[in-house]
Amino acid sequence: MDLDALGNCFASSACVVTQTTSGLIVGMLLFLVAAGLTLIFGVLKIVNFAHGTFYMLGGYVAFSTLALTDSYTLAVVAAAAAMALFGVLFERLLIARVYGSNVLMQLLICYAVVLIFDDVVKIVWGPDFHAMGMPPAFQVAPLFIAGGVVPPFYAVLIGISAVIAIVLGLGLALTRIGKTVRAAAQNPSMVSALGVNTTLLFALVFAVGGALAGLAGALAAPVRSLSPGMGFSILIESFIVTVIGGMGSIAGALVAALVIGLLRGFGTIGFPMFTDGLTYVAMILILVTRPHGLFGREVA
Amino acid sequence: MRRHPALRDALIAAIALVVLLLIPAFHRSPAFEDYVIRVSAMALFATSLNLLVGGAGMVSFGHGMFYGLGAYAFALLMQMTDLSLPVAALAAIAITAVGALLVGAVCIRLGTIYFAFVTLAMQMLFFSIIISWQSLTGGDQGLRGGIPRRELFGFELGSQLHLYQFCAVVMVLGLLAMRHIAASPFGATLRMIRDNETRAGFLGVVLWRARLTAFVLAGAFAGLGGVLAALFVSGAYPELADWPNSGQAIFAVMLGGIDTFLGPLVGTMILLALNDIVTRVTEYHGLVLGLVILAFALGLRRGLLDFLRLRRKGAKA
Amino acid sequence: MRTRKIGRRTLLATGTAGMLAAPWVAGAQAKTLRIGMQSILSGPIALLGTSSRNALQMEAERINAAGGFLGRPIEFVYRDSKGQPQEAARVARELVNSTGCELLIDAEASSGSFAVQEVVRDLGVACIHTNSETSSLTADPKIRVPTAFRVARQGVHDAIAGSTYLAKFATDKKISKWATCSPDYAYGRDTTAQYLEFFKRAKPDIEVVTQAWPKLGQADLTEVITKLIQAKPQALFTLLYAGDLSAFVNQGNVYALFSQMTVASPNFDYPVLTAIKNLPTGIQSATRYLETFPDNPGNKAWGEAYRKKFNEYPTNWSWQNTVAMQFYEAAVKKANSLDGKALAAALTGMKINTPFGVDGTITMRDDHTTINYAIGWGQTVPKPPYITDVKPADWGRIVELETEWKKEQHYI
Repeated sequence: MDLDALGNCFASSACVVTQTTSGLIVGMLLFLVAAGLTLIFGVLKIVNFAHGTFYMLGGYVAFSTLALTDSYTLAVVAAAAAMALFGVLFERLLIARVYGSNVLMQLLICYAVVLIFDDVVKIVWGPDFHAMGMPPAFQVAPLFIAGGVVPPFYAVLIGISAVIAIVLGLGLALTRIGKTVRAAAQNPSMVSALGVNTTLLFALVFAVGGALAGLAGALAAPVRSLSPGMGFSILIESFIVTVIGGMGSIAGALVAALVIGLLRGFGTIGFPMFTDGLTYVAMILILVTRPHGLFGREVA
Repeated sequence: MRRHPALRDALIAAIALVVLLLIPAFHRSPAFEDYVIRVSAMALFATSLNLLVGGAGMVSFGHGMFYGLGAYAFALLMQMTDLSLPVAALAAIAITAVGALLVGAVCIRLGTIYFAFVTLAMQMLFFSIIISWQSLTGGDQGLRGGIPRRELFGFELGSQLHLYQFCAVVMVLGLLAMRHIAASPFGATLRMIRDNETRAGFLGVVLWRARLTAFVLAGAFAGLGGVLAALFVSGAYPELADWPNSGQAIFAVMLGGIDTFLGPLVGTMILLALNDIVTRVTEYHGLVLGLVILAFALGLRRGLLDFLRLRRKGAKA
Repeated sequence: MRTRKIGRRTLLATGTAGMLAAPWVAGAQAKTLRIGMQSILSGPIALLGTSSRNALQMEAERINAAGGFLGRPIEFVYRDSKGQPQEAARVARELVNSTGCELLIDAEASSGSFAVQEVVRDLGVACIHTNSETSSLTADPKIRVPTAFRVARQGVHDAIAGSTYLAKFATDKKISKWATCSPDYAYGRDTTAQYLEFFKRAKPDIEVVTQAWPKLGQADLTEVITKLIQAKPQALFTLLYAGDLSAFVNQGNVYALFSQMTVASPNFDYPVLTAIKNLPTGIQSATRYLETFPDNPGNKAWGEAYRKKFNEYPTNWSWQNTVAMQFYEAAVKKANSLDGKALAAALTGMKINTPFGVDGTITMRDDHTTINYAIGWGQTVPKPPYITDVKPADWGRIVELETEWKKEQHYI
């Protein structure tokens, strides 16, 4: 514990601005992964334990696409598209068979997928880690905003995350498909009886969730390392975010991701050896006081 | 027999125990003995989890924390004090029960999914404490230097045969005790809560007290499993308390069957045997294990024993 | 259709029963000498196991071409412990008891090696730990085992060599303000403390302005990087490694970290050096393994042969496993036996010729650990040979300070 350092940091505007920006960066990237997870849960009541695998595969697809085409934009699009397709296949071939069964059965199937694809990645890309490297367009000096440092690449990431948050939020609230999705979340059999093709709808939700995870993997690839099994820590982090925010709530995921980001930004100053524990403590405290998360509604 | 189910259970347990103890007299196989030792630790752990999952409908993702707590408490007591083995083991189980009481007090009021995740978060917190509290636990490198194997009624637990016999006895007695709990009126109350908590509430059951009791009992038995695990590895390692270990127990329960008492034992036997075979053949055991799990989950749709039981019922009807 | 479905499920159910019996079918004893090798062959640090295994494969070919051990051809039995100590213990016992292995190579990472150590204590078989760098494994007499040896670099040696080099570097460049950034677990914490201790002994005026402890495998290090930059140190010491180190460099580049402070780390090895696309020049790093250090034809030829065979660079773990087999080869010849005690007697104090030694030899000291292996420090360049201007460490000084350290720990 280093409370003096924390006090000094709060006394200095540069430190507050910089660590806040870092927290936002960490948080927005977390949100990107967690958004798909919370969307899938909100509509289908499925806890997608394989979400980290989507993220991992997205990163690897982007890595290989970049190596083949030399275009980072193409790499990002390819990763999102590939994971949308993967999401649909995953839902149709596996998850669709266990709708309505025990949460443990879903866990079991997802775990099997995690195990299988960790090994598939190892077979295809090798056991060693890979680094994609920064695309040349972003190899520029960082910007200085109000005494805080903001690298351009991260500014773009935050922009994309913000756009996704808005599109998802407004899309669910205002569009026809969004309304159907929300209705299906409330009462799937009724929606089905009204002539909506729920099969298609559910597949669509998994496609969007997969695409978001794939996108996150591709966007994070230039600065993170790719390795088999990398999805697990991301999965845990996104779970914390969705659980704190309230499972199924996009707004909740956004707020929770930022809370976690800030907690880490300042935790590393004040509690450098217990940053991780801090997150779990926060999660436990929030759930004990608000058993359905910050923005969550009652779930069965 | 039908009127004395407890007697029947005891009889089955006695027969199983005699068979297990006789095997080494006919054929010594160190690999088999290791297997039984590991099964004993894991089966107690998985069955205790199923007291919660199958017995009370409480899906805990963090049960491994009590397995780890039992292992650490026992190993530390053996290293730091001169307590005899049974006393240290009982003390370790008591410590685990207190731990489960504290964790349970926080968690048991939550709904299914949130209960699952908060128990998981508790486990990760516990895990990060083990890693951080290096002076006591040895951090990520675990508690090294071995557990002193004090002699116990002529048993010398450094010897594999004696450890085998000891674990077999503890496993059978532990399972019998849990069977007794599941079959007791308290077990019936838990099942009633699982099936319809509103009705159970109307009938005057204090929900939180019943759930908390179940949570503490399950924690204590997981701690007993942890004691055996600590004896097997002659130490305690953070991996025992880590998430994948809880995952293993969940899969053992799911593979064997949640509605049959011996399901988790059978699941453990399958899982460990699969692990032992597959890791011999290929380093891609994740791939193989994943495919096997999928075959089970999509093929049987339920655990092995549950499946066989339903089939038999179907055949009779 | 319905009956067929049930049939298939029943088959699946009953098939499991058959599988349960399979693991204990005894393996046939052959004339071939089996050597058990266990390591982490799956998950994020599978490279530890695979690059160890590659090296052993080359050694098996070489040794068998020369007639094997005691006239028997050798064969490795590889097992994956997944990095779990309880699996490591089980696998070690199984290799000896059911698979019939007569020698062990324990290529586990730290915690696994301690679990194997306890098994070896029970079984009395000869075992060489090839990848555990934790000093206490052999230095602590309570943990040391009569028939178990270590052929690997060791934390305390690295700390002494590195801090001696960095103290001189800091004096030359007039650097006094340092920051540290190491993974938050025993290796990161203990080794950082050890480096700092020896560092302060050599250069008392250094000041540690901040310390960051990201967790192992933390994907996003942003808040750590900004914290380090704000503390405005002149130099940063880091023990991050592999994928975490690579991520740190990539994310540090985004903040232009490498232009704001000198970075020093013992962990820039081939996997990191080759993976990073924009490797900054001038990072001070130790050589874990380098084809050009020690600069001799044997080392170079071995590195090239490895690269040709496996299409990747060898790792630090590769050379350690190679040397372990060279020690076994010499000890088996000397003892004319595979017995644990006889081999232990032969290995203790043994000195062999090997291109990986700093002077062409490596010695197995009587406390069951190796000395005189190559440790050097140099600076990075973005293209092969990746680390240039390598200065070898002074082993006389290392052993002197190590002895003091062992006394402080009450090991001797």
